[in-house]
Amino acid sequence: MDISTINADKVVDTSGLSCPMPLLKTKKAIKELASGQVLQVIGTDPGSKNDIPEFGNKDGNEFLGMQDTDDGKTNYYIKKG
Amino acid sequence: MATTFWSSFREEARKVYIKVFQNSWPIWLASIFLAILALMIFLWDSMWGITGGFRNWGDNFFYMIGLYSERPIEPWMSNMSMSNIGLVLGALAAALLAGQFKLRGSSWYEYFKGLGGGVLMGIGAAIAAGCNIGGFYNAIGMFSMGGYAMMIGLGIGAYIGLRILIWEMMNVPQQFTAAPPSREMPGKAIVNWGKLSPYAGGLILVLILAAFYLYSVQGETVIGGLLFFGTLIGITMQRARLCFARAFREPFMTGDAEMVRAIALSLLIYGMGSAVIKYNWIQPETMGVFHPFWLGSLLGGIIFGIGMLLAGGCGSGSLWRAGEGHIKLIIAVASFSLSNSLGFAFLERIEIRDWLGSGVFMPEVFGWPVALAVFVIIPVAWALWAIWNEKSEKFVIF
Repeated sequence: MDISTINADKVVDTSGLSCPMPLLKTKKAIKELASGQVLQVIGTDPGSKNDIPEFGNKDGNEFLGMQDTDDGKTNYYIKKG
Repeated sequence: MATTFWSSFREEARKVYIKVFQNSWPIWLASIFLAILALMIFLWDSMWGITGGFRNWGDNFFYMIGLYSERPIEPWMSNMSMSNIGLVLGALAAALLAGQFKLRGSSWYEYFKGLGGGVLMGIGAAIAAGCNIGGFYNAIGMFSMGGYAMMIGLGIGAYIGLRILIWEMMNVPQQFTAAPPSREMPGKAIVNWGKLSPYAGGLILVLILAAFYLYSVQGETVIGGLLFFGTLIGITMQRARLCFARAFREPFMTGDAEMVRAIALSLLIYGMGSAVIKYNWIQPETMGVFHPFWLGSLLGGIIFGIGMLLAGGCGSGSLWRAGEGHIKLIIAVASFSLSNSLGFAFLERIEIRDWLGSGVFMPEVFGWPVALAVFVIIPVAWALWAIWNEKSEKFVIF
Protein backbone atom coordinates (compact mmCIF):
# COMPACT_ATOMS: atom_id res chain seq x y z
CA MET A 1 0.00 0.00 0.00
CA ASP A 2 1.40 3.39 -0.93
CA ILE A 3 0.93 5.50 2.14
CA SER A 4 1.45 8.80 0.35
CA THR A 5 -1.96 8.34 -1.26
CA ILE A 6 -3.81 7.92 2.03
CA ASN A 7 -6.55 10.42 2.78
CA ALA A 8 -6.79 10.71 6.53
CA ASP A 9 -10.16 11.27 8.18
CA LYS A 10 -8.55 13.04 11.12
CA VAL A 11 -5.17 14.70 11.65
CA VAL A 12 -3.40 15.17 14.98
CA ASP A 13 -0.35 17.42 15.08
CA THR A 14 2.04 16.62 17.94
CA SER A 15 5.02 18.59 16.57
CA GLY A 16 7.27 19.85 19.33
CA LEU A 17 5.66 17.64 21.95
CA SER A 18 7.69 14.97 23.66
CA CYS A 19 6.91 11.72 25.40
CA PRO A 20 4.21 10.91 26.53
CA MET A 21 2.01 13.58 24.90
CA PRO A 22 2.18 12.30 21.28
CA LEU A 23 1.01 8.86 22.34
CA LEU A 24 -1.66 10.23 24.67
CA LYS A 25 -3.07 12.43 21.90
CA THR A 26 -2.96 9.53 19.45
CA LYS A 27 -4.94 7.39 21.86
CA LYS A 28 -7.55 10.10 22.35
CA ALA A 29 -7.90 10.64 18.61
CA ILE A 30 -8.33 6.94 17.84
CA LYS A 31 -11.14 6.76 20.38
CA GLU A 32 -13.00 9.47 18.50
CA LEU A 33 -12.80 7.68 15.14
CA ALA A 34 -15.33 5.29 13.68
CA SER A 35 -14.28 1.82 12.59
CA GLY A 36 -12.42 1.87 9.26
CA GLN A 37 -11.45 5.54 9.45
CA VAL A 38 -7.80 6.57 9.19
CA LEU A 39 -5.89 8.78 11.60
CA GLN A 40 -2.83 10.76 10.60
CA VAL A 41 -0.40 11.73 13.37
CA ILE A 42 2.32 14.31 12.74
CA GLY A 43 5.22 14.18 15.16
CA THR A 44 8.80 15.23 15.80
CA ASP A 45 9.71 13.20 18.90
CA PRO A 46 12.18 10.42 18.02
CA GLY A 47 10.52 8.17 20.62
CA SER A 48 7.31 8.20 18.59
CA LYS A 49 9.00 6.14 15.88
CA ASN A 50 8.91 3.16 18.23
CA ASP A 51 5.80 4.03 20.22
CA ILE A 52 3.23 4.87 17.59
CA PRO A 53 3.73 1.85 15.28
CA GLU A 54 3.54 -0.48 18.27
CA PHE A 55 0.53 1.23 19.75
CA GLY A 56 -1.13 1.49 16.34
CA ASN A 57 -1.40 -2.27 16.10
CA LYS A 58 -3.09 -2.69 19.47
CA ASP A 59 -6.80 -3.36 20.08
CA GLY A 60 -7.47 -4.55 16.54
CA ASN A 61 -6.30 -1.30 14.93
CA GLU A 62 -3.87 -1.37 12.06
CA PHE A 63 -0.69 0.67 11.67
CA LEU A 64 -0.49 1.52 7.98
CA GLY A 65 2.96 3.08 7.86
CA MET A 66 5.08 6.15 8.47
CA GLN A 67 6.87 8.64 6.31
CA ASP A 68 9.43 11.36 7.04
CA THR A 69 8.76 14.78 5.54
CA ASP A 70 11.30 17.31 4.29
CA ASP A 71 10.87 19.60 7.28
CA GLY A 72 12.01 16.97 9.80
CA LYS A 73 8.60 15.70 10.82
CA THR A 74 7.13 12.24 10.52
CA ASN A 75 3.65 11.26 9.40
CA TYR A 76 2.06 8.16 10.90
CA TYR A 77 -1.10 6.49 9.68
CA ILE A 78 -3.36 4.29 11.77
CA LYS A 79 -6.59 2.66 10.66
CA LYS A 80 -9.16 2.03 13.34
CA GLY A 81 -10.31 -1.58 13.49
CA MET B 1 41.86 -9.35 -4.67
CA ALA B 2 42.81 -6.63 -2.25
CA THR B 3 40.05 -4.37 -3.43
CA THR B 4 37.36 -7.00 -2.94
CA PHE B 5 38.68 -7.66 0.55
CA TRP B 6 38.45 -3.99 1.44
CA SER B 7 35.09 -3.49 -0.12
CA SER B 8 33.65 -6.48 1.73
CA PHE B 9 35.32 -5.27 4.92
CA ARG B 10 33.76 -1.85 4.45
CA GLU B 11 30.43 -3.43 3.78
CA GLU B 12 30.63 -5.47 7.01
CA ALA B 13 31.73 -2.43 8.99
CA ARG B 14 28.80 -0.48 7.61
CA LYS B 15 26.39 -3.24 8.64
CA VAL B 16 27.77 -3.28 12.18
CA TYR B 17 27.57 0.49 12.36
CA ILE B 18 23.93 0.46 11.34
CA LYS B 19 23.12 -2.29 13.84
CA VAL B 20 24.88 -0.69 16.78
CA PHE B 21 24.60 3.04 16.20
CA GLN B 22 21.58 3.58 13.97
CA ASN B 23 18.99 0.94 14.80
CA SER B 24 17.56 1.08 18.28
CA TRP B 25 18.62 -1.61 20.74
CA PRO B 26 16.15 -4.08 22.21
CA ILE B 27 14.91 -2.75 25.54
CA TRP B 28 15.55 -6.01 27.42
CA LEU B 29 19.16 -6.06 26.23
CA ALA B 30 19.74 -2.47 27.33
CA SER B 31 18.22 -3.25 30.72
CA ILE B 32 20.80 -6.03 31.19
CA PHE B 33 23.59 -3.63 30.18
CA LEU B 34 22.26 -1.09 32.66
CA ALA B 35 22.44 -3.60 35.52
CA ILE B 36 25.99 -4.60 34.61
CA LEU B 37 27.13 -0.98 34.30
CA ALA B 38 25.53 -0.12 37.65
CA LEU B 39 27.40 -3.05 39.20
CA MET B 40 30.63 -1.84 37.60
CA ILE B 41 30.13 1.55 39.24
CA PHE B 42 29.36 -0.15 42.56
CA LEU B 43 32.63 -2.08 42.35
CA TRP B 44 34.60 0.84 40.97
CA ASP B 45 33.56 3.39 43.55
CA SER B 46 30.21 3.29 45.33
CA MET B 47 26.48 3.16 44.61
CA TRP B 48 25.57 4.82 41.31
CA GLY B 49 23.38 7.87 41.76
CA ILE B 50 22.10 10.84 39.84
CA THR B 51 20.50 13.22 42.33
CA GLY B 52 23.80 13.85 44.14
CA GLY B 53 25.24 15.18 40.89
CA PHE B 54 22.23 17.41 40.27
CA ARG B 55 22.52 18.75 43.80
CA ASN B 56 26.20 19.44 43.26
CA TRP B 57 25.34 21.58 40.23
CA GLY B 58 22.68 23.43 42.23
CA ASP B 59 25.02 23.92 45.18
CA ASN B 60 27.66 25.38 42.90
CA PHE B 61 25.15 27.75 41.34
CA PHE B 62 23.93 29.04 44.71
CA TYR B 63 27.50 29.37 45.95
CA MET B 64 28.37 31.40 42.88
CA ILE B 65 25.52 33.85 43.38
CA GLY B 66 26.44 34.11 47.05
CA LEU B 67 23.48 32.34 48.66
CA TYR B 68 25.58 29.56 50.18
CA SER B 69 28.68 30.42 52.16
CA GLU B 70 30.25 26.97 52.13
CA ARG B 71 32.16 26.12 49.00
CA PRO B 72 30.88 22.90 47.37
CA ILE B 73 33.11 20.47 45.47
CA GLU B 74 33.71 21.58 41.89
CA PRO B 75 31.44 19.76 39.42
CA TRP B 76 34.45 18.22 37.67
CA MET B 77 35.68 16.72 40.95
CA SER B 78 32.34 15.42 42.27
CA ASN B 79 31.73 11.72 41.63
CA MET B 80 28.01 11.80 40.82
CA SER B 81 28.32 15.02 38.86
CA MET B 82 30.90 13.36 36.63
CA SER B 83 28.83 10.25 35.97
CA ASN B 84 25.92 12.57 35.10
CA ILE B 85 28.10 14.54 32.69
CA GLY B 86 29.13 11.22 31.17
CA LEU B 87 25.46 10.24 30.81
CA VAL B 88 24.61 13.46 28.95
CA LEU B 89 27.68 13.23 26.71
CA GLY B 90 27.09 9.53 26.02
CA ALA B 91 23.51 10.23 24.99
CA LEU B 92 24.68 13.18 22.88
CA ALA B 93 27.30 11.02 21.16
CA ALA B 94 24.80 8.20 20.56
CA ALA B 95 22.22 10.63 19.15
CA LEU B 96 24.86 12.20 16.87
CA LEU B 97 26.04 8.80 15.66
CA ALA B 98 22.47 7.89 14.85
CA GLY B 99 21.83 11.23 13.17
CA GLN B 100 19.10 11.92 15.74
CA PHE B 101 20.57 14.93 17.47
CA LYS B 102 18.71 18.19 17.02
CA LEU B 103 17.84 21.05 19.34
CA ARG B 104 14.18 20.30 19.76
CA GLY B 105 12.11 23.32 20.66
CA SER B 106 8.59 23.30 21.99
CA SER B 107 5.93 25.72 23.21
CA TRP B 108 6.27 28.00 26.25
CA TYR B 109 3.59 25.93 27.86
CA GLU B 110 5.71 22.78 27.53
CA TYR B 111 8.79 24.63 28.80
CA PHE B 112 6.77 25.65 31.84
CA LYS B 113 5.78 22.02 32.40
CA GLY B 114 9.46 21.04 32.15
CA LEU B 115 10.30 23.70 34.72
CA GLY B 116 7.54 22.65 37.11
CA GLY B 117 8.25 18.96 36.64
CA GLY B 118 11.92 19.56 37.39
CA VAL B 119 11.08 21.49 40.57
CA LEU B 120 8.80 18.68 41.80
CA MET B 121 11.42 16.04 40.96
CA GLY B 122 14.07 18.03 42.83
CA ILE B 123 11.89 18.31 45.95
CA GLY B 124 10.79 14.68 45.75
CA ALA B 125 14.37 13.49 45.36
CA ALA B 126 15.44 15.64 48.32
CA ILE B 127 12.79 14.04 50.55
CA ALA B 128 13.40 10.48 49.31
CA ALA B 129 17.21 10.97 49.28
CA GLY B 130 17.40 9.95 45.64
CA CYS B 131 15.56 9.98 42.33
CA ASN B 132 14.23 6.98 40.42
CA ILE B 133 17.83 5.79 40.14
CA GLY B 134 19.29 6.46 43.59
CA GLY B 135 16.05 6.18 45.54
CA PHE B 136 14.35 3.31 43.73
CA TYR B 137 16.52 1.31 41.33
CA ASN B 138 19.71 1.41 43.36
CA ALA B 139 17.94 1.29 46.71
CA ILE B 140 16.29 -2.01 45.79
CA GLY B 141 19.54 -3.28 44.32
CA MET B 142 21.39 -2.32 47.51
CA PHE B 143 18.73 -4.04 49.69
CA SER B 144 17.68 -0.76 51.24
CA MET B 145 14.04 -1.01 52.25
CA GLY B 146 13.28 2.57 51.23
CA GLY B 147 13.45 1.47 47.59
CA TYR B 148 10.16 -0.42 47.91
CA ALA B 149 8.44 2.52 49.61
CA MET B 150 9.62 4.77 46.80
CA MET B 151 8.42 2.24 44.22
CA ILE B 152 4.89 2.52 45.64
CA GLY B 153 5.25 6.30 45.78
CA LEU B 154 6.40 6.48 42.15
CA GLY B 155 3.39 4.40 41.11
CA ILE B 156 0.97 6.70 42.94
CA GLY B 157 2.76 9.78 41.61
CA ALA B 158 2.71 8.51 38.03
CA TYR B 159 -1.04 7.84 38.35
CA ILE B 160 -1.72 11.37 39.63
CA GLY B 161 0.61 12.86 37.01
CA LEU B 162 -1.13 11.01 34.19
CA ARG B 163 -4.50 12.26 35.47
CA ILE B 164 -3.13 15.80 35.27
CA LEU B 165 -1.89 15.27 31.68
CA ILE B 166 -5.24 13.85 30.62
CA TRP B 167 -7.07 16.74 32.26
CA GLU B 168 -4.74 19.15 30.45
CA MET B 169 -5.37 17.47 27.10
CA MET B 170 -9.12 17.79 27.56
CA ASN B 171 -9.24 21.31 28.97
CA VAL B 172 -6.27 23.44 27.98
CA PRO B 173 -6.80 25.03 24.56
CA GLN B 174 -4.56 23.71 21.78
CA GLN B 175 -2.99 27.07 20.98
CA PHE B 176 -1.24 27.15 24.37
CA THR B 177 0.16 23.66 24.21
CA ALA B 178 1.08 23.37 20.55
CA ALA B 179 4.58 24.34 19.47
CA PRO B 180 4.95 27.35 17.18
CA PRO B 181 5.46 26.33 13.56
CA SER B 182 9.05 25.35 12.92
CA ARG B 183 11.17 28.12 11.48
CA GLU B 184 13.49 25.73 9.78
CA MET B 185 13.99 26.19 6.06
CA PRO B 186 14.54 22.86 4.41
CA GLY B 187 17.47 22.67 2.04
CA LYS B 188 19.14 25.90 3.11
CA ALA B 189 21.83 24.50 5.39
CA ILE B 190 25.35 25.73 4.63
CA VAL B 191 27.07 22.50 5.69
CA ASN B 192 25.57 19.09 5.30
CA TRP B 193 25.12 18.45 9.01
CA GLY B 194 23.65 15.00 8.46
CA LYS B 195 26.95 13.77 7.02
CA LEU B 196 29.10 15.38 9.72
CA SER B 197 27.01 14.34 12.69
CA PRO B 198 28.37 10.78 13.06
CA TYR B 199 31.95 12.12 13.06
CA ALA B 200 31.03 14.61 15.78
CA GLY B 201 29.60 11.73 17.82
CA GLY B 202 32.77 9.70 17.36
CA LEU B 203 34.88 12.69 18.34
CA ILE B 204 32.99 13.03 21.64
CA LEU B 205 33.75 9.41 22.48
CA VAL B 206 37.43 9.94 21.72
CA LEU B 207 37.45 13.04 23.92
CA ILE B 208 35.88 11.03 26.78
CA LEU B 209 38.72 8.54 26.56
CA ALA B 210 41.23 11.40 26.49
CA ALA B 211 39.55 12.90 29.57
CA PHE B 212 39.79 9.55 31.36
CA TYR B 213 43.50 9.48 30.59
CA LEU B 214 43.99 13.03 31.88
CA TYR B 215 42.15 12.27 35.12
CA SER B 216 44.24 9.16 35.50
CA VAL B 217 47.51 11.04 35.06
CA GLN B 218 46.35 13.49 37.74
CA GLY B 219 45.80 10.60 40.14
CA GLU B 220 41.98 10.87 39.88
CA THR B 221 41.34 7.60 38.09
CA VAL B 222 38.15 6.97 40.08
CA ILE B 223 36.51 10.17 38.88
CA GLY B 224 37.68 9.65 35.30
CA GLY B 225 36.23 6.14 35.39
CA LEU B 226 32.86 7.47 36.56
CA LEU B 227 32.79 9.76 33.53
CA PHE B 228 33.54 6.74 31.37
CA PHE B 229 30.88 4.47 32.92
CA GLY B 230 28.37 7.32 32.85
CA THR B 231 29.04 7.66 29.12
CA LEU B 232 28.35 3.97 28.56
CA ILE B 233 25.08 4.30 30.51
CA GLY B 234 24.11 7.32 28.42
CA ILE B 235 24.73 5.42 25.18
CA THR B 236 22.77 2.41 26.45
CA MET B 237 19.79 4.44 27.61
CA GLN B 238 19.58 6.58 24.47
CA ARG B 239 19.90 3.63 22.09
CA ALA B 240 17.05 1.74 23.71
CA ARG B 241 15.13 4.81 24.99
CA LEU B 242 15.21 3.23 28.43
CA CYS B 243 12.76 5.17 30.52
CA PHE B 244 11.72 4.66 34.12
CA ALA B 245 8.88 7.18 33.82
CA ARG B 246 7.48 4.96 31.11
CA ALA B 247 7.62 1.87 33.33
CA PHE B 248 5.48 3.60 35.94
CA ARG B 249 3.19 5.41 33.54
CA GLU B 250 2.42 2.92 30.80
CA PRO B 251 0.40 0.42 32.88
CA PHE B 252 -2.10 3.25 33.45
CA MET B 253 -1.89 4.75 29.96
CA THR B 254 -1.67 2.14 27.22
CA GLY B 255 -1.20 -0.99 29.32
CA ASP B 256 2.13 -1.65 27.61
CA ALA B 257 4.23 -3.86 29.92
CA GLU B 258 7.52 -3.93 28.02
CA MET B 259 9.35 -1.33 30.10
CA VAL B 260 8.11 -2.84 33.39
CA ARG B 261 9.45 -6.24 32.34
CA ALA B 262 12.77 -4.70 31.34
CA ILE B 263 13.23 -2.73 34.57
CA ALA B 264 12.21 -5.75 36.67
CA LEU B 265 14.76 -7.90 34.81
CA SER B 266 17.40 -5.24 35.30
CA LEU B 267 16.63 -5.07 39.03
CA LEU B 268 16.98 -8.82 39.41
CA ILE B 269 20.40 -8.90 37.76
CA TYR B 270 21.60 -5.81 39.60
CA GLY B 271 20.47 -7.04 43.03
CA MET B 272 21.92 -10.52 42.53
CA GLY B 273 25.26 -8.97 41.66
CA SER B 274 25.16 -6.59 44.57
CA ALA B 275 24.19 -9.46 46.93
CA VAL B 276 27.32 -11.35 45.92
CA ILE B 277 29.46 -8.26 46.38
CA LYS B 278 27.94 -7.32 49.73
CA TYR B 279 27.71 -10.81 51.16
CA ASN B 280 31.42 -11.26 50.63
CA TRP B 281 32.24 -7.76 51.87
CA ILE B 282 33.95 -6.75 48.65
CA GLN B 283 32.15 -3.51 49.33
CA PRO B 284 30.72 -2.65 52.78
CA GLU B 285 27.34 -4.27 53.45
CA THR B 286 25.50 -1.08 54.18
CA MET B 287 26.95 0.94 51.32
CA GLY B 288 24.14 2.76 49.57
CA VAL B 289 21.67 2.13 52.40
CA PHE B 290 20.47 5.53 53.56
CA HIS B 291 16.95 5.89 52.15
CA PRO B 292 14.41 7.28 54.63
CA PHE B 293 12.13 4.30 55.18
CA TRP B 294 9.28 4.64 54.93
CA LEU B 295 7.66 8.04 54.99
CA GLY B 296 10.43 9.95 53.23
CA SER B 297 10.77 7.44 50.42
CA LEU B 298 7.01 7.13 49.93
CA LEU B 299 6.27 10.85 50.06
CA GLY B 300 9.30 11.75 47.97
CA GLY B 301 8.32 9.07 45.47
CA ILE B 302 4.82 10.52 45.05
CA ILE B 303 6.11 14.06 44.47
CA PHE B 304 8.86 12.80 42.18
CA GLY B 305 6.37 10.66 40.24
CA ILE B 306 4.12 13.63 39.50
CA GLY B 307 7.15 15.67 38.44
CA MET B 308 8.51 13.03 36.07
CA LEU B 309 5.16 12.78 34.30
CA LEU B 310 4.95 16.56 33.81
CA ALA B 311 8.57 16.85 32.66
CA GLY B 312 8.37 13.73 30.49
CA GLY B 313 11.51 12.21 31.96
CA CYS B 314 12.87 11.03 35.30
CA GLY B 315 16.35 11.61 36.74
CA SER B 316 18.12 9.48 34.15
CA GLY B 317 15.56 10.07 31.39
CA SER B 318 15.86 13.85 31.68
CA LEU B 319 19.62 13.58 31.33
CA TRP B 320 19.72 11.45 28.22
CA ARG B 321 16.90 13.41 26.59
CA ALA B 322 18.76 16.64 27.39
CA GLY B 323 21.75 15.10 25.60
CA GLU B 324 19.51 14.33 22.64
CA GLY B 325 18.62 18.02 22.41
CA HIS B 326 15.14 18.39 23.96
CA ILE B 327 15.05 21.96 25.29
CA LYS B 328 12.15 21.10 27.62
CA LEU B 329 14.26 18.45 29.37
CA ILE B 330 17.31 20.73 29.53
CA ILE B 331 15.08 23.13 31.47
CA ALA B 332 13.91 20.25 33.67
CA VAL B 333 17.51 19.26 34.47
CA ALA B 334 18.28 22.86 35.50
CA SER B 335 15.20 23.27 37.70
CA PHE B 336 15.71 19.78 39.19
CA SER B 337 19.27 20.77 40.20
CA LEU B 338 18.27 24.08 41.74
CA SER B 339 15.19 22.85 43.60
CA ASN B 340 17.00 19.77 44.86
CA SER B 341 19.83 21.86 46.25
CA LEU B 342 17.41 24.22 48.00
CA GLY B 343 15.11 21.41 49.14
CA PHE B 344 18.00 19.46 50.60
CA ALA B 345 19.35 22.49 52.45
CA PHE B 346 15.86 23.25 53.76
CA LEU B 347 15.35 19.70 55.07
CA GLU B 348 18.71 19.89 56.84
CA ARG B 349 17.73 23.15 58.47
CA ILE B 350 14.29 22.19 59.76
CA GLU B 351 15.65 18.87 61.03
CA ILE B 352 12.82 16.55 60.06
CA ARG B 353 15.11 13.84 58.72
CA ASP B 354 14.46 11.53 61.69
CA TRP B 355 10.75 11.92 61.24
CA LEU B 356 10.94 10.93 57.56
CA GLY B 357 12.66 7.66 58.39
CA SER B 358 16.11 6.15 58.18
CA GLY B 359 18.06 3.66 56.09
CA VAL B 360 17.02 0.04 56.68
CA PHE B 361 19.33 -2.69 55.44
CA MET B 362 16.98 -5.60 54.82
CA PRO B 363 19.41 -8.50 55.41
CA GLU B 364 20.20 -6.99 58.81
CA VAL B 365 16.53 -7.02 59.80
CA PHE B 366 15.30 -10.24 58.14
CA GLY B 367 18.50 -12.12 57.40
CA TRP B 368 19.77 -12.78 53.89
CA PRO B 369 17.32 -15.58 52.93
CA VAL B 370 14.16 -13.56 53.57
CA ALA B 371 15.67 -10.39 52.17
CA LEU B 372 16.60 -12.23 48.97
CA ALA B 373 13.16 -13.83 48.71
CA VAL B 374 11.42 -10.46 49.04
CA PHE B 375 13.86 -9.02 46.57
CA VAL B 376 13.03 -11.67 43.95
CA ILE B 377 9.29 -11.81 44.58
CA ILE B 378 8.53 -8.10 44.28
CA PRO B 379 10.03 -7.38 40.82
CA VAL B 380 8.62 -10.66 39.47
CA ALA B 381 5.17 -9.82 40.87
CA TRP B 382 5.42 -6.32 39.39
CA ALA B 383 6.21 -7.76 35.95
CA LEU B 384 3.45 -10.37 36.18
CA TRP B 385 0.93 -7.73 37.25
CA ALA B 386 1.94 -5.55 34.28
CA ILE B 387 1.65 -8.45 31.82
CA TRP B 388 -1.78 -9.36 33.20
CA ASN B 389 -2.80 -5.72 33.00
CA GLU B 390 -1.60 -5.51 29.39
CA LYS B 391 -4.23 -8.06 28.43
CA SER B 392 -7.02 -7.09 30.80
CA GLU B 393 -6.37 -3.31 30.88
CA LYS B 394 -7.87 -3.29 34.36
CA PHE B 395 -5.64 -0.44 35.52
CA VAL B 396 -5.72 1.58 32.31
CA ILE B 397 -7.47 4.84 33.15
CA PHE B 398 -7.71 6.39 29.73
